[in-house]
Amino acid sequence: MNYQFDFHFLTGSFGALWDGLKVTLELALVSNLIGLVLGFGLCLMTLSRWFFIRWPAQLFIEFFRCTPALLQIVWFFYCVPMLFNVFIDPVAMGFLALGLNLAAFNSEAYRAGVQAVPREHLDASIALGLRSWQRTFYVVLPQALRSALPVLMTNGIGSLQQSALVAIVAVSDLMYVGKSLATEAYRPLETYTLIALIYFALSLPIAQLVQYIERRQEAAATR
Amino acid sequence: MTIDFSVVFPFWHILLKGLGLTIAITLTCAVLGSLAGFVISLLRNVRNPLIRLPISLYVEFFRGTPLLIQLFWVFFCFPVVFGLTLSPYVSVMLALILYMAAITSETFRGALKSIASEQHDACTALGLTPRVKVLFVIFPQALLRATPPLLSNVVSLFKESALISSVGIADLMFIGQNISNSTARPVEFLTAVAVIYFLVAFPLTRLVGVVESRMLRRYAY
Amino acid sequence: MNTPRLVAAQPQSAHTSSTVSGGDFIQLRGVCKSYGEQLVVMDNLTLDMRADDRLVIIGPSGSGKSSLLRVLMGLEGIQGGTISFQGKPYIAGGKGCGKPLDESLRNQIGMVFQHYTLFPHLSVLGNLILAPTKVHGLSKAEATEKARAYLARLGLESKLHAYPSQLSGGQKQRVAIARALMLEPKLMLFDEVTSALDPEMVIEVQNVMMQLAEQKMAMIIVTHDMHFARHIATRVVFCANGKVVEQGPPEQIFTQPKEARTREFLEKVLHLD
Repeated sequence: MNYQFDFHFLTGSFGALWDGLKVTLELALVSNLIGLVLGFGLCLMTLSRWFFIRWPAQLFIEFFRCTPALLQIVWFFYCVPMLFNVFIDPVAMGFLALGLNLAAFNSEAYRAGVQAVPREHLDASIALGLRSWQRTFYVVLPQALRSALPVLMTNGIGSLQQSALVAIVAVSDLMYVGKSLATEAYRPLETYTLIALIYFALSLPIAQLVQYIERRQEAAATR
Repeated sequence: MTIDFSVVFPFWHILLKGLGLTIAITLTCAVLGSLAGFVISLLRNVRNPLIRLPISLYVEFFRGTPLLIQLFWVFFCFPVVFGLTLSPYVSVMLALILYMAAITSETFRGALKSIASEQHDACTALGLTPRVKVLFVIFPQALLRATPPLLSNVVSLFKESALISSVGIADLMFIGQNISNSTARPVEFLTAVAVIYFLVAFPLTRLVGVVESRMLRRYAY
Repeated sequence: MNTPRLVAAQPQSAHTSSTVSGGDFIQLRGVCKSYGEQLVVMDNLTLDMRADDRLVIIGPSGSGKSSLLRVLMGLEGIQGGTISFQGKPYIAGGKGCGKPLDESLRNQIGMVFQHYTLFPHLSVLGNLILAPTKVHGLSKAEATEKARAYLARLGLESKLHAYPSQLSGGQKQRVAIARALMLEPKLMLFDEVTSALDPEMVIEVQNVMMQLAEQKMAMIIVTHDMHFARHIATRVVFCANGKVVEQGPPEQIFTQPKEARTREFLEKVLHLD
């Protein structure tokens, strides 16, 4: 391999990289917020007794889960301004697209958590005389959230990875900055390697945390 | 601004060609990636740390970085690092295969773990040799249990394949974007592309659910 | 009444009953086993067994009953002591991992577990012929014939091609017993095989075990069912804290236990009778 590694040019670009990283982190955090809250709401809707609430929610979820995230982002960026005659800041569009996508996946995670609560617990709480909302709040929810947690966190990491897609629509996140740098300086190897390592460094601690939580839950369950 | 979906119809056969390429690439990478993933999941159980640790690192890395950067890296850096020029198609397929292998190795690992430890005890009690045990008891059950999540992984790959449009491969996404740009009608064309992806992914997702309940109930418990 | 034979005839021993705690079929001497530092499950355990014995081991949970079976089957190792089987050294603690030294001896022991461990992806026939064909070199035809014969004696011939998911718990356990018997073991180990079954299925499994008992199969049984223990045992062994506290014929142990510990345990377990 005849290649002269040269990381020097990167030192001058730290400012740009840092700005890109900030945008990426913003995207990840806000989309996770939207995804967690909205996902929960969607889950409640899918579990509702009323067809007219359940059905649109289900459709929304299926659509976001069965189409590529890239397509969703591109659609948002090109179609929303056209359809609604509004101009939204690109980063905010990114929040929306990534947030809605994450909400769909998270709602499934919440739902699995709720369905994993053993039937016996519901029966026991009825036998104890708890009212409907008390059952949900004190018995179902805590357990559902506990089992859904690892999946929600994994989805969150997935959202961090997907935030890189906004680079395709020229939002100045870490990926976009990296791409520009690589093309300007003709040094894809150093740049892309560095970018990959940064994403990895961000995801790895959370992934390890998820594994730790899963191990602890497993151990508690087998007792 | 008027929305008129009839503008899509003259282009339907071009869109279909794009879909064909997407499906072809998805299936190829799915099969090769799954095979590689299976081998990797076995290697992760090896005792020798010189084999186990690099493999684990590989899996964590490909799961912990965006597919987009993996794609770009293979596409732009591979020729530099290895001195080979790969055709664009081979490049993207290589990236997708490496990604798929990492994902499916986790799927197989989960399937192997889900086989009750009592099964191992039963094999010992019957005096089965390790070869017989792995070949006739563990492997078939692992394969059975891995099938539903594996199918899910393939559907995911189908969606993630849209990324190859970013390096100019003429898949469904690329063609859709292209046409929508040239006709300045993003709503109609991007929605049409979304519907096409949906019409493929949605039934497959439902199929996974059916496979899971029917097959597993009969042969896995 | 001619009970169909499930096992080959065992050589008759000179002693007719096993009131004497001697025997050279199995000998455990000073066996020690612990999990980590705290949990000692076998504490200098010493026990003998004769070839025509049916030992039933009773005792509080965690007293090493299951561990004893698992050690004999080679699923777990011991840290100290020795075990001999049929007069030959079988397991030596401390050496290596405390597991069976001789594969051919180990293959003469069969075990049935509490949680049905039939292989779910194979049919009943598949389950029965797997070990005989793949490990012991029987031809598929021979093994199938043998499997058919065993199932017929258990009344399960119609289930030959069924899958475990289609069987009831009692049927699964009976198939598991047949699967172990296919290898013609000299000793059968039963680890709480009826504990996970619905009451109406317990009896069908216990009947099979009684059939084996009539054919003089050597067995070691761990069970919570004292009624059954009394019925099938030639000798009852009460273990607590990893030691043999008391042993003797069932009538003696259940009606006139000598040790206070034994009395205490039996009071708790039998008071509903």
